[in-house]
Amino acid sequence: MRTLRRALRLPSARLSAVVLVVVAVAAVFGHWLAPLDPLAQDSAHVLSGPSAGHLLGTDGLGRDVLSRLVAGTSSSIVATLEAVGTALLVGIVLGIGSLWLGRGYEWASLRFVDSLQTLPYVVFVVAVVGVLGNGLTQAMLAIGLLYSPIFFRVSRAASLALLRAQYVEAAELFGATRLWILRTHLWSKILPTIAVTAAQASAECLLAVQSLSFLGIGVQPPAPTWGGMLADDLGFLAQQPWAPLIPAITIMITVGALNAIADAISDSADLLVVDASPPQPGSAQEVSDAAVAVR
Amino acid sequence: MSAVVAVPRPGAAVAETWRLSGWARRVLRMLVTTATVFLITSFGTYALGALSKTNPAAAVLGETATPADITRMNHQFGLDRPLLVQYATWLGHAFTGDLGTSYFTSIPVAASVRQALPVDLGITGLAALFAVLIGGTAGIAAALNGGGRLDRSVTAVCSALSTIPGFVIGIVLIVVFSATLRILPAGGYVSFGTDPVQWFRCLLMPSFALSLTLAAHIARQLRTSLVATLRENYVVGATVRGLSQRRVLLRHALRNAMGPALGILTVGVPALLSGSVPTERIFNLPGVALLTLQSAERHDIPVIQGTLLVTVTTVLVCNLVLGALLARFTPQARR
Repeated sequence: MRTLRRALRLPSARLSAVVLVVVAVAAVFGHWLAPLDPLAQDSAHVLSGPSAGHLLGTDGLGRDVLSRLVAGTSSSIVATLEAVGTALLVGIVLGIGSLWLGRGYEWASLRFVDSLQTLPYVVFVVAVVGVLGNGLTQAMLAIGLLYSPIFFRVSRAASLALLRAQYVEAAELFGATRLWILRTHLWSKILPTIAVTAAQASAECLLAVQSLSFLGIGVQPPAPTWGGMLADDLGFLAQQPWAPLIPAITIMITVGALNAIADAISDSADLLVVDASPPQPGSAQEVSDAAVAVR
Repeated sequence: MSAVVAVPRPGAAVAETWRLSGWARRVLRMLVTTATVFLITSFGTYALGALSKTNPAAAVLGETATPADITRMNHQFGLDRPLLVQYATWLGHAFTGDLGTSYFTSIPVAASVRQALPVDLGITGLAALFAVLIGGTAGIAAALNGGGRLDRSVTAVCSALSTIPGFVIGIVLIVVFSATLRILPAGGYVSFGTDPVQWFRCLLMPSFALSLTLAAHIARQLRTSLVATLRENYVVGATVRGLSQRRVLLRHALRNAMGPALGILTVGVPALLSGSVPTERIFNLPGVALLTLQSAERHDIPVIQGTLLVTVTTVLVCNLVLGALLARFTPQARR
């Protein structure tokens, strides 16, 4: 909390927080806030520019662009939260487990994470959806699984540094259980690091979700999504070349705000400096163990 | 700076009896890891198909199939055997170049992949080249400019690029160069053997669009590590000894700063292949990514498994080559 308050003193963080609050409001109340029905087709105004009736104009089927933009927020945000939630859960449980459950488990979990990092996420999600059927949950669980290595490496590396600290050793000598050490010493120290990683991962997941909804995966058309709007605009580039800019700029502002928040938190917290980039093949353990340093 | 203490490394004795250099040992270890990872991912790929709720036999035979027909078809596809046996058979066939047959078109998967793969190698290869050239130039320029206007604008452009999905850049390029200026084709593909010039014209926009996100990553990483390296004592020392700025940069600073930036390429290969799905859709390029997408829409499981296996193998081979090169040419990795 103290870290968060300190982070919010930066002007860039305040601006991003405002942006994210607006996005969150649009995500929750989007269907009521949208000025018009996002699915209603106004055949009298197809591909019209901005006007009093349609503030951001209409698309190729005469649907109000502003309404689709506002109503499409919720699916992007829900999808991102599902994916990041899955990644957090899988990554942290496997990562902290890899320190305590013995060499065999450690080796297996490291190779498992290496394997996940070789999978290109769009190709993998397309394959998963192709086999299991198209749906937001399947697609987001698959993305979450592919993003879990980041949290695995961060939580593992951060904990590894802390477990070598003398006060943890002392607690162990006094007979503290592992769960007690996890709760008292570990959790509060690795939380800011994980928060920064989660903000960065949300930004990346949001981008991934846009690529997928562009391809019609996760949320199917005609339901409004930002990526889906880009796909619709693609057919009318000759008539309205500026139309893709509207969803594109919305995506850029949201992702930019998430990135700025991540930077602000990491600037104002005493983070454990962790290199979360995947190591070179063949040296997985050395790199993730060596790349840790407490500032 | 940590003190260097001479501690005999575990396994040093083995290496001496084998007479392997440090580099060969690293590459050997990479091979073992890569093989393990390949087994895990290929099993995952195969098991994914088994999770499917649609029964392929029922899908192929249609609604009029009797249970007896379905049982016979299942036996013909080998779907009535244990999963591990099916996997081993599938992988064994894959090594001989047989990836099975599409449930719907009866075209061998390997034939479709062989036809599609050059497209992906073309765009991702060109994209990687662009990313290294653009990212490398921008990163070096920014680092040498240290805090100046050029440095700040490179940083700003990189931050902006990391907030756009790569395919949006593709759309912008189509608007500018195809719809407005009409100098490049908006889509389609001509093989290199048929017409190299047209091949390049077709792939120029998609690979450039694909490369920018990675170029931004490389530029940012190279700038950071180069700025740090330029402050190191040996670089200052080389400058004081009167070596030219160019020589100091190329021989001393860049060689040491390059490692982390090239390391990004190992993450970059899956990212490029990932981005190639929307890119191939936009530019209508008949590559493996588009093949995966089309067979996913039809639930054509053998094709999905085949393309995923080929994609994973491509990533692993690229990472192995990159890892071996990095271990050979960057001073840090040689320890």
